[in-house]
Amino acid sequence: MKNWFKTVRTLVWKDLVQEWRSRDMLTAMLAFAVLALFIFNYAMELTPANRAEVASGTLWVVILFAGTLGLNRSFTAEQDQGCFDGLVMAVPDLSAIYVAKAITNFLMMVFLTVLVIPLYSVLYNQSMFILSFFTVLLLGSWGYTAAGTLISGMTVQTRMRDLLLPILLFPLLMPVNMAVVKAAGGILAGLPASEISVWIRLLVVYDVIVSVVGVMVFEYVIQE
Amino acid sequence: MLRILSVLAGVLITVAFAMVLFYAPIELNMGLVQKVFYFHMAAAWVGMLAFLMAVIFAIQFLRIRDLKWDYLEASSVEIGLVFTLVANFSGMIWAKAAWNTWWTWDPRLTTTTIMAFTYIAYLLLWRGVDDPQKRAQFGAIYAIIGFATVPLTFFSARLLRTIHPILIGAGMDMNLTPEMLHTMIVSVIAFTVLYSALVIFRADIMTRQEAHKDAHLIEEDY
Repeated sequence: MKNWFKTVRTLVWKDLVQEWRSRDMLTAMLAFAVLALFIFNYAMELTPANRAEVASGTLWVVILFAGTLGLNRSFTAEQDQGCFDGLVMAVPDLSAIYVAKAITNFLMMVFLTVLVIPLYSVLYNQSMFILSFFTVLLLGSWGYTAAGTLISGMTVQTRMRDLLLPILLFPLLMPVNMAVVKAAGGILAGLPASEISVWIRLLVVYDVIVSVVGVMVFEYVIQE
Repeated sequence: MLRILSVLAGVLITVAFAMVLFYAPIELNMGLVQKVFYFHMAAAWVGMLAFLMAVIFAIQFLRIRDLKWDYLEASSVEIGLVFTLVANFSGMIWAKAAWNTWWTWDPRLTTTTIMAFTYIAYLLLWRGVDDPQKRAQFGAIYAIIGFATVPLTFFSARLLRTIHPILIGAGMDMNLTPEMLHTMIVSVIAFTVLYSALVIFRADIMTRQEAHKDAHLIEEDY
């Protein structure tokens, strides 16, 4: 077990260093997020009056779509020059690869969220610096990356590649989307905790189920 | 076996159709359009059953690694998708008459449609992989994870109010006469038998197609 954690840590570190050296993915995700924020402003005519109601939804959609850019590329580095076979041979427990990739993707999402929240707050003049709001987004992001890592591990090996990821992933994410938007919106609107807690519990249940399924079946994603 | 099943399906569907037309009474409030309900209910049931069977086949495949289970699984998804769409569209016809709208954001409607999209995605994934073994593995994984998230989608949509009639469980708000109940039961049985026959047929065709492909490849190699 101790070895397993060490493997995960090494793999996460490897991916983060690799990303930090190029910063391709983060730059693209962030640029996309900013552009999406601008598009939303004009697409939905966000006036100060209706802004508050749609804030959580807008923010989550921006994070979600920017996230697919990153997810799509999470296994591409391994596609080159048979790196994937090397990785599979080097790591005894294949579930460690899944967990490490999911954590890396999750950290990317956290980084993105941390940058987008102040941006949104500034652009739309609405403070979003609420700890519970951020926590809800993190819970949603984990469910998103836990499912997304599993799916992108498969789509990268198909004929259609990145075309397929959102089509496979989004139907699975319906509960997350509903729960995040409802919970985060409720927090922004200042609803009592009793009305929000059911959505947060739903998020936790989703996260646990998807993570467990992911750990259990990931070996079939990479095994020949 | 398959021949008996097919004949039985044909007979049962005819009987069910006749019962819908002549045996079941015309509903008091909704009139003739209520008759769409029998096949709507049966199709929705087969859709659920087909996706449940797909998961069972998927787990069976991952355990045994026999491609036979993969063909059964993919066939079940294909047929389940057709029946789910039938249920959706027949539901829309009924909804227009009963609720005066083709569509509402009701949990069952939303969940069924998301479920249909999940299995459309399944078929895209399944067709997008060339290696049969890998295709089977991916299909099985997606069938399992898809089936795990559908109840959560339903639950989250349910947290918002529902107007769909609840047939089974607490608060039965549709009063069926005995004749209506008989017609419904016969329709459900007929559709279930039809499903079994179709799955076996489809899986058989897939097996033959693959065998044909293999034979072709070997011919080209030499």
